[in-house]
Amino acid sequence: MLYHQERHITHLDLDTFFVSVECLRNPALLGKPVLIGGSGDRGVVASCSYEARKFGIHSAMPMKIARRLCSHAIIVRGDMEAYSKYSRLVTNIIQDTVPLFEKSSIDEFYVDLTGMDKFFGCQLFSGELKKKIYKESGLPISFGLASNKLISKVATNEVKPNGQIEIPFGNEKIYLAPLSIAKLPGVGKQTALLLFKMGVETVKVLSEIPIEMMQNLLGKSGTDLWRKANGIDETPVVPFHEQKSISTENTFQQDTIDIHFLNSELVRMTEKIAFELRQQNKLTGCITVKLRYSNFETFTRQLTIPYTNADHIILKTAKELFAKLYERRMLIRLIGIRFTNLIPGNYQISLFDDTQESINLYQAIDSVKKRFGEDLLIRATGARKV
Amino acid sequence: MKFIVSASSLLKHLQQISGVINANTVLPILEDFLFDIDGKKLNIIATDLETVMRVQMDVESKENGKVCIPAKILIDSLKNIADQPLSFNIDKNYAVEITSDNGKYKVMGENPDNFPKEPVADDTNTFTMSSTALVTAINNTLFAVSSDDLRPAMTGVFFELKKEALQFVATDAHRLVRYKRTDVTCPKTDSFIVPKKPLNLLKNALPNNEDELSISYNSNHLFVTHGSTQLVCRLIDARFPDYKVVIPTDNPYKLVVNKQDFQNALRRVSVFSNKSTNQVALNISGSELQLAAQDVDFSFEGNERMNCQYDGEDLQIAFNAKFLIEMLGVADSAEVKVELSTPTKAGIIKPTEQGDNEDVLMLVMPLMLNN
Repeated sequence: MLYHQERHITHLDLDTFFVSVECLRNPALLGKPVLIGGSGDRGVVASCSYEARKFGIHSAMPMKIARRLCSHAIIVRGDMEAYSKYSRLVTNIIQDTVPLFEKSSIDEFYVDLTGMDKFFGCQLFSGELKKKIYKESGLPISFGLASNKLISKVATNEVKPNGQIEIPFGNEKIYLAPLSIAKLPGVGKQTALLLFKMGVETVKVLSEIPIEMMQNLLGKSGTDLWRKANGIDETPVVPFHEQKSISTENTFQQDTIDIHFLNSELVRMTEKIAFELRQQNKLTGCITVKLRYSNFETFTRQLTIPYTNADHIILKTAKELFAKLYERRMLIRLIGIRFTNLIPGNYQISLFDDTQESINLYQAIDSVKKRFGEDLLIRATGARKV
Repeated sequence: MKFIVSASSLLKHLQQISGVINANTVLPILEDFLFDIDGKKLNIIATDLETVMRVQMDVESKENGKVCIPAKILIDSLKNIADQPLSFNIDKNYAVEITSDNGKYKVMGENPDNFPKEPVADDTNTFTMSSTALVTAINNTLFAVSSDDLRPAMTGVFFELKKEALQFVATDAHRLVRYKRTDVTCPKTDSFIVPKKPLNLLKNALPNNEDELSISYNSNHLFVTHGSTQLVCRLIDARFPDYKVVIPTDNPYKLVVNKQDFQNALRRVSVFSNKSTNQVALNISGSELQLAAQDVDFSFEGNERMNCQYDGEDLQIAFNAKFLIEMLGVADSAEVKVELSTPTKAGIIKPTEQGDNEDVLMLVMPLMLNN
């Protein structure tokens, strides 16, 4: 297997991706503290610019606190659609350039360059890829080149923004040693706190703890952590896979019990992702509706259906599932809908259920949505009150 | 009660009707054959409460009587017994003792009075048709029957009787087959839906020859008689969808292709399509037909092109290849004609040559491509 030989893996990470996209769309934001996320009190910071980070703001922080820390920050409500578009753009550039890559999130990629060093030089090749991405998409990106995924990811995070670094084979442990354990992926708040209490602060100390002790302390994740601290990571770069589900959910500004509003939201959300499904030429075979009550108790219900992407079937199923799910007289905090069992394909027209008029109508609606934006033409039930 | 019967002949008769018996039945007695001797004639009956099949054979016996014998064990034993006369001895507790040259076998039978009664053929209308006509009709339509129990009307074949013709229609809402026989005269305009299982049984039990069948029906049941073999089944009590309105009458574009070539091309290309949708796109322009399938999840792709005759505007239309392959399998001619209009309207497939007295029309709905 390849794992026994020296590998060359580059981790690419788009710098403050959401913010970068917003800056491209509105250059006035450049150099200003920018927060992406819902502006309401319940929103969280999805991403923030480096200027905002100076104030101590970080992603996943509640918007309320972020605003307190930096009152003049510009808050932009995220536009996932635009981000996906730019992410796809970058994915396409990488796809066209490298032999094997993994898209691990919307803004992160692992590229396996093993075997290319002889011909191109991995450092040089990665540097050119970085330049190419910036030139073609306008988005700054950082990369770390190392012998495995773990080291390359840690290294990328260290050199951000707009940086590049190579950790030569054999130097993994030395590189990790002085870093804080919190920088290792997989070390969350709880684990970090536990280890800090034990006096373990740097990766060096962690790597010198006997593996058995780590096993006793944290179980399986303890040994995993120990291996990470020693710079060992054999996970392969898994080729890019299509997403396995399409979903959306909505946390309301205020918990609600207004059934008309809930139904309307459900219709709006379902219609939105059903359109997305059709645009991707996909069919779904399973629909899941999710509901969270104000006490955070969360319930889901799903139904397997014959493969479809037609609004009338999906909407009907979603409404039925919601009706079955919503059985308590309690305020609702969130509803969500998810399509799984996705397969590529198009809707099989039915002889008796579909009329030529309805088929034409669907095609017309979709072409209007495609041309003028998907929010322009929606079902009246799903329209928000102004 | 006592009788003597040929082992191979008995097995042959049992196998004709054993398909009726379900593997897991609600009533244990439904796992049995009913043996009914009436004047040197042995009637054997099997039922699943929906369908009843009966065959008759000659036996040597001195007395009349009835008994129920478990089907599986009887057939399993007969399969392993060389052809010879077997004597059956049944005592008053319905214990069955079978004596062969090799030895004796015992099996516990059941009280024949508990066996479900056959439906009575009253208030029926009757007509006749040839065995081969019915077998062909079943072969031409059964594959298109739906298995969606939520729409019971489509889980059977629709028999549409007219004075001068008999039509068989099957659909699963995505495709439809209409097979018409003009050599059958029905007593009056009428219609009923026959479930899939009895038709499958008939297809296997009936000979593909000119033997005359007598077909009777009333509001609940269908009775098909071929000599001493009879099948009775319950009809599906539902309204068949109004299929006539969905058959397009004005498809302007005609595509004529070699049937075998088209079917083979579809078989090859569809291997590379998604396994759930079997989606194959047809691109037709001038005298060329392109077939394309892909599964983006696995990066599979199949493309072929073949010659055709086509007189319409260039067209891209996608179908479930499985549907097309099955339909082409039914078309009994060297070439087929596909009538098309727009990419979202039904395509009609017809053999270019049809047999005397028969008319086949097949219809398939496309998959809706994003334009």
